[in-house]
Amino acid sequence: MKSTKTLRVMDTVITHVILIAVCFVFLFPCLWLILASFSKSGSIYSFDGFFPSEYSLDTFKTLFTDTDMYNYPRWFRNTLFIASMSCLIGTFLVILTAYTMSRFQFRGRKTIMKTTLVLGMFPSFMGMIAVYIIMTQFGLINKMWGLILIYSSGAPMGYLTQKGFFDTIPGSIDEAARIDGATNFQVFLKINLPISMPIIVYTALTSFVFPWSDFILPKLLLKEKDLYTVAVGLMSLGETEFARFAAGSVFIAVPIVILYFCLMRFLVDGMTAGAVKG
Amino acid sequence: MKKKKIRTDGVTQLLLHGGKNVRASMCLMGLGQLLYGQIGKGLLYLFVLALAVFYFVQRGFADIAGLITLGTKEADTWLGIEGDNSVVMLLMGILSVIAALCLFVCYLSNVRDAYETQKICERGGKPASFREDLKQLLDKKFYKTVLFLPILGVCVFNILPIIFMIAIAFTNYGGTIVPPKLVDWVGGSNFVKLATLSQFSPTFLKILSWNIIWAILSTALNYFAGLGLALLLNKDCVKGKALWRAFPVLAYAVPGFITLLGFKFMFSYGGPVNQIITGMGHKAVGFLDIDAKWIARLIGLLVNAWISVPSIMLLATGLLSNRDASQMESAKIDGANAFQQFRHITLPFVLFSTTPVLISQFIGNFNNFGIFFFLRGGLYIDGYFLASDTDLLINWLYNLSINNNYYSIGATISLVIFVITSLISLSIYTGSASYREEDTFR
Amino acid sequence: MRKKGYRLLAGLLCIGLLSGCGGNAGGNDGQGSGGDSAGKDTQNAQTGDSAAADLSNIYTGELEQNVTIRVLENDTAIEQGYFQELINAFNEAYAEYGIVAVDANMDQYSNLADDGPYGYGPDVLYQANDVLMKYVDGKHIYPIPVQDMECYAQIPERAWEAYRREIDGTTYYMAVPVNVQTSMLYYRKDLLPDDWETAWDDDGNGVPDMVESWSDMYRFSKLRMEENEGQYGYMRSMYDVYFSSSFLFSYGGYVFGNNNTDPSDLGFSAGDSWMGASVLLQQASLMNEGCIDDTITVNAYSKLADGTYFSTMTTPDVYTLFLKELILAYQGQGMSEEEARALAEENLIMTKVPMLPASADLTEENPELIPLKTMGGVNGYGISAYTKAPNACLAFVEFATSYDMIMRRCEMLGIAPARSDVASQRGGTSEMIYQSLEEGNVVLMPSITEVDQIWTPAQSFFSDLAKDAFREPGEQKYDDPDKLKAGLTQVDTQIYDAIFTLSGN
Repeated sequence: MKSTKTLRVMDTVITHVILIAVCFVFLFPCLWLILASFSKSGSIYSFDGFFPSEYSLDTFKTLFTDTDMYNYPRWFRNTLFIASMSCLIGTFLVILTAYTMSRFQFRGRKTIMKTTLVLGMFPSFMGMIAVYIIMTQFGLINKMWGLILIYSSGAPMGYLTQKGFFDTIPGSIDEAARIDGATNFQVFLKINLPISMPIIVYTALTSFVFPWSDFILPKLLLKEKDLYTVAVGLMSLGETEFARFAAGSVFIAVPIVILYFCLMRFLVDGMTAGAVKG
Repeated sequence: MKKKKIRTDGVTQLLLHGGKNVRASMCLMGLGQLLYGQIGKGLLYLFVLALAVFYFVQRGFADIAGLITLGTKEADTWLGIEGDNSVVMLLMGILSVIAALCLFVCYLSNVRDAYETQKICERGGKPASFREDLKQLLDKKFYKTVLFLPILGVCVFNILPIIFMIAIAFTNYGGTIVPPKLVDWVGGSNFVKLATLSQFSPTFLKILSWNIIWAILSTALNYFAGLGLALLLNKDCVKGKALWRAFPVLAYAVPGFITLLGFKFMFSYGGPVNQIITGMGHKAVGFLDIDAKWIARLIGLLVNAWISVPSIMLLATGLLSNRDASQMESAKIDGANAFQQFRHITLPFVLFSTTPVLISQFIGNFNNFGIFFFLRGGLYIDGYFLASDTDLLINWLYNLSINNNYYSIGATISLVIFVITSLISLSIYTGSASYREEDTFR
Repeated sequence: MRKKGYRLLAGLLCIGLLSGCGGNAGGNDGQGSGGDSAGKDTQNAQTGDSAAADLSNIYTGELEQNVTIRVLENDTAIEQGYFQELINAFNEAYAEYGIVAVDANMDQYSNLADDGPYGYGPDVLYQANDVLMKYVDGKHIYPIPVQDMECYAQIPERAWEAYRREIDGTTYYMAVPVNVQTSMLYYRKDLLPDDWETAWDDDGNGVPDMVESWSDMYRFSKLRMEENEGQYGYMRSMYDVYFSSSFLFSYGGYVFGNNNTDPSDLGFSAGDSWMGASVLLQQASLMNEGCIDDTITVNAYSKLADGTYFSTMTTPDVYTLFLKELILAYQGQGMSEEEARALAEENLIMTKVPMLPASADLTEENPELIPLKTMGGVNGYGISAYTKAPNACLAFVEFATSYDMIMRRCEMLGIAPARSDVASQRGGTSEMIYQSLEEGNVVLMPSITEVDQIWTPAQSFFSDLAKDAFREPGEQKYDDPDKLKAGLTQVDTQIYDAIFTLSGN
C-alpha cells in the first residue's frame, strides 16, 4: 500500500517539475520582452546577462508622447479599428457560412468543402501581387476599409472548426421548431445562435487576433504613415529603437492577453466542440 | 464557384418542353418571368442583364481582348504615352471572364426558373410572387442568401489571385520584363525550363525532401507536445489548472513576427543565450550561422513549437474533457495501465476528432514562410541554387520570385508544389473519418 | 542606403513584395494622373521627331499654379527638423504661385515603381542613387535638365556620374546629388594609450597611427585584447557587404564591369581581391563571434560607449546615435549632462578610414600603404514621372539643392554634401568625404537594377569568411589564397546565376 502512495507522490512531483519547466520555457521569453521594455538605457546590449541593469518607465512615456516620427497611439487606434471591424464582419460571415455548411444539403456542398481546403494550400504571398493590383483598381489603397474588406472576405475560408461545432448540435431541435412553422432563418436566429456563444467568442477572438498582428497586408496597402498599424509601425522603427520596439510589442500583446484570460472558458469549450467534428 | 453545369437531361427537357415564356426567358433574361406576372423577379433579372451589358460595353469586352493580347502599346512617361499595363490587363481580363461566367450562370438560372414556374402552372399552381420568393431565400434557400457574400469575397480575394498566378506561369513576366514593358504569353516554356535547367532539380529535390521532413516533424512535435501538455494539465494531482494554462497562453498572445525576431536575437552571437554560454567559459555557439545546418533546423522546430503548441494544448484540453469517462473507468477496471489507456482510448479518440486540425497544421507547416525567413534569411549556401539549407520551398519561391524577380518561374514552381500538396491533402481529407462520417454525432 | 544589407534584410518582406509589382507603369486606365498632364504637354511641345533629348516637352518652364507637391524625404531629415525648415522656406518663397510642398508621409524606402503608376507616389523623392536609378528602366522618373541649374558646376563629375544614363544615344541626368554617403571610422580618443603621442605617432602628424593604417590598428587591437580579454580594438560585422566589399575593391575587385554598368561581368573575384578577403580574415581573428552576424552592427553604439570597442566603421549619418550613447555612458559615471556632452563631443571622433598595406599582410612592419576604397552612394532628389506639376517639382529641387539649403542640411544633419562650395566652407568630415570622392576612393554603388541581386550571395560569403576565423584549425575553409579566390569566384557565379540563369528569354 505504501509503495502506491510513494508512487503517487513521485508522480505528482515529476508532473509538477515538468509543468514548471514548461511554464518557464513559455514565460521566459515573454518576461524578457516585458522587462526589456522597462529598460532605462533603451539599448539591448547594456543588459546584465538576460535582463536590463536599470529600469524605468521612460520608454513607455516616449512611446506615447514622442509621436513626431513614430506615432504609436495613432497606430494603435488604427489597428484597433481595423481589427474590431474585421472581427465583427468576419465573425458574422464565418458563423453563417459554417452554419449553412453544417445544416444544408445542397448541390456542390462537398465541392465547396474540398475547394476551400485546397485553396488554403496556395502560397499566399504569390497572390499578393494580384491583391495589390485589385486594390489599386478598386481605389482601395490607403483606405482602412480596403484592409477590413480583405480580412473579412478571407475569414470564411476557415469555417471548418465552426462547422464542426454546429455538427454537434442535434438536428432534432431544429426539426421541432420547423414543425412549429419557423423559417430556417428564424431557426438559426432564435435557436442556434444563443447556444453557440462559445464558438462565437472563439471565432471573434481568432478573427481579431489575426489583423491585430498581421503586417504583410497593411504594409502592402497602407502607404501613408498616419495609417500604419502597430505591426507595420514597429517594423519601421530604427535599428537602435529596441526598447521602444519592446514596449510597443508588449503593449499590443496586453489587450490580447486580457481578452484570452477573460474568455478562456469559452475558448476551450468552443475549440473543443469545433474540433470534435471539424 | 457557382454551379456551371446543368444536368444534360435537364437541358434537353428544357428545349423540348419549354413553353413560350421559357423561350422568352431564353431570348431575354427576365422576360419570361415578366410574362408570368412575376414583375419583381423579372425586373431583377433584367436589371442584372442591363448591369452586365453596361459593364461589358464599358470595359468587359476590352478586358477580354486585353487578356489575349496582354497589351500592344508600351508606355513612355517621358513622351506622355499612356501605354498598356500587361499585368493589370491580365488581372482585369480574368475578372471579366469570371464576370462572363457569372452572367452565364445567371442566365441559366433564369431559364430554369421560368421552366420551374411553367411546371407549377401546368400542375395548376400559381407563379410564386416576389414576396414568396424572398421568403424562400430566408427559408429553403437560406443557404443561397448566406453563401452569396462569402463566396463573392473568396472569389475576388482568394480565387482570382490564384488564377492570376497560375496564368503568370504561362507568361514571361519577370526579370527585365515588367511593366511598362509588355508581357507575353509563352505557353509551357517555363515548365520546360524548369525541367531542363541543370542547377534546378538538385536544389528542388534537396529542398523538397527537407520540406517534407520539416512538415512531418514539426506537425508531430507540435501535436504531441500540445497533447502531452494537455494530458499533464488534466491530471487529478494538478491544482490550479487555469493558472498553469495561463503560461502557454501568454506565448499565444505575442504576435508571431515579434516572437520570431525575439528568438533570432536570443540565438544570435550577441544574444543572451550565447552570453550565458561564454559567461560559463565556453565558446560561443553559432545557432543560426552559415554552418549551423542541423542546429538551425532544430531551433526552427523548437521555435515553431513554442508558437504553435499553446493552441493545440487548448484544443486538446477541451477534447479530453469530452472523453467518454465510462470507457476510461472500464479500462481501469480491466487493469490497463496509463500508457495502454492512452494508446488505445485517448489517442484514437483525439486523432479521429482532430484530423482536419492535423491536416491544416501540416499544410501550415509545409508552407511556413516566416520561421526561416526571420530566423535565418538572407543566406545562400553552396550546393543550393539561390537558397539556404534551412529554406523551405516557400522561402525558395520567395528568393526566386521576389528577390530575383522571376515571377513567372516562381509561379510555375508554386503551381507544381500546389498540385502536389493539394492532391496529397485532398486524398487524406476525403479518406478521413471526419470527412466521410460527418453525421455520426447527430 | 546606409547599411544596405541591413535594410534589405529587415525590409525584405515588405519592400520585396511591393517590387513584386515590378513597376506597373503607365496605368492604361488613366490612374497615373501624372501621365495625363505630361501627355498634354507633349502634344503642345513635341513635334514628333526624336525630340526626347529636349526636355521642354516635360518642363515647359511655366510654373503650375496652386499645386501641392508631395516630397519624400529621409527619416533623419524629418526627425532632426531639417525637412520642416526646408518646406517652410520653399512654401514662403513660392507662396505667390500657390505652390505648396508637403511631406509625402510615406516610408523612406517606398518604391516609386509600385506606387507611382497608380497615383500614390510622391512627386519629389530623396533616395539613394541605386534606388533612384532603378526607376529609369521603366521611366518612372523624369530626367532633369541639370545643366541649367545653379548647382551644376558645384557638384563634381563623379557624383553626377551616379545619375547619368544614356538612352537612345542621348545622355540624361536623372537626379540631383545632395549628399555623399560612405564609410567612416569612429573611435574614442580617450581610449587611446596615454603615450600615444610618443609610441603611436611615428609620422608625428598628431594623428594616432592606428586610425591611419589598418596594420597599426591590427597591432593595437591585439594589444587591447592582450591587456584585457573582453576588450577589442576595431570591431565590425563582416557580413555587411556595404562595408566589407570595400576591402575587395582596394585590391582590384569591383561589382560590375565597364564602370559598374555591365551586369554580365562580375568582379568580386577580379584582380587581387582575395587579398582584401585575407585582410578581413585577419581582422576577424581579433574580434569575437559577433562579427559573423549582425551583433556588432547593432551593439556598436553601446559597446563603443562603454569602452568595450575602441573603434568601428560605419556611415557618417549615425554620428548622433553614437554621441547619444556616449553621453549616457558618461552620465552614468556621474557627470552632469553638459559635462558629459562636452566630453563626448571631444572624445568621439569620426574620421576617414585608415590605409591598407599593399601586401595585405597586417603584421608586416612598415608596409607600403594604399588607400581603402570604400563603397559609397550619392543620395539625391529625383522627380516622379507621375507628377502633375513637373515644373513646380523642378523648382523645388532647385530650391532644395541651393547653397543655403544644403548648408543648412549640413549643419543640422552632419551630412557630407555633394556641393564643393558647401564642403569647403564646412571643412572637417564633410570636406574629407568630398575629397575621397574626388580622388576616386569612394566606389559608388552601381546604378543598375541588377545591383539588387548582389547582396545575398556576397553577404553569405562574408559571413562564411568571418566564421572561418572561428573554425577549428583543419576545418577552415579559407586558409590559403586559392581557397579565398575560389570563394570569391563562387560569389560571382552565384550572382551571375541569380541575374541570368532563369531570365534567358
